[in-house]
Amino acid sequence: MIEDVRDLARKWLEGKEVDAIFGLKEHDGYIAPYLFTAASELDNLTISTEYRLCYTCRPIKENILALMQRREPNTKIGIVARGCEERALIELAKRGQVDLDRLKIMGIACTQEEAKECKCERPYPSNLVIGERVKGVSEDEDINALLNKSLPERLEFWRHELNKCIKCYGCRNACPMCFCKDCKMEQEVFSETGWLPPEIPMFHFIRWYHISERCIGCGQCEKACPVDIPLLTIFKLLRRDVKDLFDYEAGMDVEQEAPLLTTLDEMPMKEEVPSGV
Amino acid sequence: MEYKNVLTTCPYCGAGCNFYLQVLDGELVGVLPCKSHTVSQGKLCIKGWNASEFVVSKERLTKPLIKHNGSFIEASWDEALDTIAKKLKEYKEIESDSIAVLSSAKCTNEENYLMMKFARAVLGTNNVDHCARLCHASTVVGLVRSFGSGAMTNSIREFEDADCILVIGSNTAEQHPLIARYILRAKEKGANLIVIDPRAITLTQFADFHLRQRPGTDVAVFNGFINVILAEGLEDKEFIKERTEGIEELRKTVENYTPARVEEITHIPKDKLVAAARTYAKAEHASIVYSMGITQHTTGVDNVSSSANLAMLTGNVGKPSTGVNPLRGQNNVQGACDLGALPNVYSGYQSVTDEKARAKFENAWKAKLPEKPGLTVVEMMNEAAKGNIKAIYIMGENPMISDPDINHVREGLEKLEFLAVQDIFLTETAQLADVVLPATSYAEKDGTFTSTERLVQMVRKAIEPPGESRADWQIICDLAKAMGSKEFEYGAPADIMDEIASLTPSYSGMSFNRLQKGGLAWPCPSKEHPGTPYLHKEKFARANGKGKFWGIEFKEPAELPDEEYPFTLSTGRIMFHFHTGTMTRKTDLLNKEVPTGYVEIAPKDAERLGIVAGELVSVQTRRGRIETKALITARVPEGMIFIPFHFAECAANVLTNPALDPVAKIPEYKVCAAKIEKISG
Repeated sequence: MIEDVRDLARKWLEGKEVDAIFGLKEHDGYIAPYLFTAASELDNLTISTEYRLCYTCRPIKENILALMQRREPNTKIGIVARGCEERALIELAKRGQVDLDRLKIMGIACTQEEAKECKCERPYPSNLVIGERVKGVSEDEDINALLNKSLPERLEFWRHELNKCIKCYGCRNACPMCFCKDCKMEQEVFSETGWLPPEIPMFHFIRWYHISERCIGCGQCEKACPVDIPLLTIFKLLRRDVKDLFDYEAGMDVEQEAPLLTTLDEMPMKEEVPSGV
Repeated sequence: MEYKNVLTTCPYCGAGCNFYLQVLDGELVGVLPCKSHTVSQGKLCIKGWNASEFVVSKERLTKPLIKHNGSFIEASWDEALDTIAKKLKEYKEIESDSIAVLSSAKCTNEENYLMMKFARAVLGTNNVDHCARLCHASTVVGLVRSFGSGAMTNSIREFEDADCILVIGSNTAEQHPLIARYILRAKEKGANLIVIDPRAITLTQFADFHLRQRPGTDVAVFNGFINVILAEGLEDKEFIKERTEGIEELRKTVENYTPARVEEITHIPKDKLVAAARTYAKAEHASIVYSMGITQHTTGVDNVSSSANLAMLTGNVGKPSTGVNPLRGQNNVQGACDLGALPNVYSGYQSVTDEKARAKFENAWKAKLPEKPGLTVVEMMNEAAKGNIKAIYIMGENPMISDPDINHVREGLEKLEFLAVQDIFLTETAQLADVVLPATSYAEKDGTFTSTERLVQMVRKAIEPPGESRADWQIICDLAKAMGSKEFEYGAPADIMDEIASLTPSYSGMSFNRLQKGGLAWPCPSKEHPGTPYLHKEKFARANGKGKFWGIEFKEPAELPDEEYPFTLSTGRIMFHFHTGTMTRKTDLLNKEVPTGYVEIAPKDAERLGIVAGELVSVQTRRGRIETKALITARVPEGMIFIPFHFAECAANVLTNPALDPVAKIPEYKVCAAKIEKISG
């Protein structure tokens, strides 16, 4: 599969279909996002479930892809994207962060094993280019265990988990959808600053609420958590609620208006848009 | 357009987390965690996530500065280096030991090695030390006399599989967040957690036992544990017989430390002490974790050796998930010690008084080396104040905030005839200098750091240095050459590591080629050796291979509360800032979390004194006085106050007591007598 990805990337680059390929690079056994501009480098292009490509750069608070697009307005970038990454790009585009017209998405499928590891419900992109589509994970033991608890037990469960929080902001930093310039998690009015653990539940609720309808279920928040708070569990449940209440699923359709952006006026609410995109 | 991610090692605590620096067209735009790293596993703390911000601060030094009539004027490198070289030569010709050098736990192994080589081979003095003196000097002395090696015995991830973890004097969740991760994971798997700390710290809410000792009574606590274990026959008799010596001396000493007497000394209820001692002793794999809460005392060495006594008594050394684990506070404080930035040893803890070792280094460095051990950090400041030290050269340290009794430090530094500082910012210390040299940060140079678990890891250059700043290793080489030395010709840091490997047995197997593929834990004696995750497996590192028990009597701290100064003051770090704030206070999010200092005071004490939350109060000791905000919290027990030491405008170290441990010369930051008063009415 990786050879197919490299071959296609080479074809896109050499055929000038794109100016660069955004993917993962392996170097000395370490894997990290990289922008390939020469076909000769593509032997180091790799795929891995460990890293995603779209992160918001801290402290400048701008998505890396948005930043690249803003700096080079005439560049077309090819991007190797799994299902969750394609969904992230769609949500980012919907919110004015990236310009899909200047992206060429190479949608790749995850393996069954990878899907299981990520507890992913939809381990493939809508526009699948490379790989075989496998079934999503429909049963989640953690969710079942949580739902089998009584309400007081659930409260106690979350109190215990959130008490461990060391306020690294890693859940937010690793989230492709967290790009607000003026993050409410940092603000004293919502939760007192300078304390550990951060105020329960407000510090976490602010983000959970704000991300609920844009969460694409990639689980990067949970993987970034130093104290293993089961964030994917809560976000899967929130995604279910959003689906039930609004018949909305994040990352599926760039034209579909997001419920939290809906107003009673004709015009949907605007997100903060980085200048130049 | 160029976008890449450069893997490197975090410049904050000693956990040794790795992360990527994100670089877009040569500009540092952020940090990404590294998922495959042994400790960080794709996670970071708030400081790590924000470790790129200070690098690009507008306040970075970009040109050499020379002071003329009290104000700094920009100068060329040649001019600045010539000025320093000329001055240092003058003092060297009169008396080498009138010069002192502070090396840096923030700098790389290669730079620390060069700095101590410069001090010894070029300046001709052993007066070289660094801030390890102020944090874990007692660890090096205490664990060497007990085990033969002064470092963390086990590796960080082993905590996860311990059955019992005893944390004493370490606020792990705040000071070493990614190490706390493994303590919490052990807890979730069913381990027992014993926290011994006067303050209620983040970990205590998860602890099975929280023993709140009176500050400074740690030896009595350990002796109490040992008394209970021996009285109940819970010791590991075979381990004691086969692997140790001195048990009779220990047995005799601890006889007097019955739980009732220990309660009198420490104020820990005796039933709790007994239950915690049993829990520790009965665990299959028990780890001790400690940090500055036990080292920064006039009894620092005693405290450390006491923890070693407890571990050996129960056979908890030399196997996985056990041991005595000092958590080092700085990214490279372990390495700075390993590489000999200490007044009594060369790299690899080879003594300057050992003729064979000295001959080896004289031969390698082609210089006559001084025989007498040099001065430690606090002694340097004392001698400077007395006029015996005339010139100090400081690399990347800020004693004007970090050292005890700052007023006295200022007096010493101001009395100097010459002070040169190389740093990345114009720190409080650099402001007092005659010449300031702009250095590079971790993001702008190659090298290695050694983490608290003895893991040597790569630091990689991600971006070009700002302005005319130069890497610390280059500055040392330039200066050595300006002083006429021919022994500082290195093309790159990799060459320095090769020299280190050739002279340092525990680093013999290290090279950049190997380290590029991943970290190596010392001892790593040969190119094929895989490194050593835990120490003392078959025998201890002492000459006869045995661990040694020390019978240690409890001693009171140097200064106790009295009528005039009724509170016990303790100092330390907090999650959101680091040391003297040079880096973290240039980071927006961290300043948002905690913008300035405060004094923690217990609710009843505050009420009695009529102090309300957030009120500006005066805190005074026999050394000095500061004004700071009151933070009323039950985190501190009644009678105790706590002040974080990061903040220059209300510097805790104006207050602290420079009384030293007699052997390790570490000051007693953790206990002194203070009074706290309202300022208005």
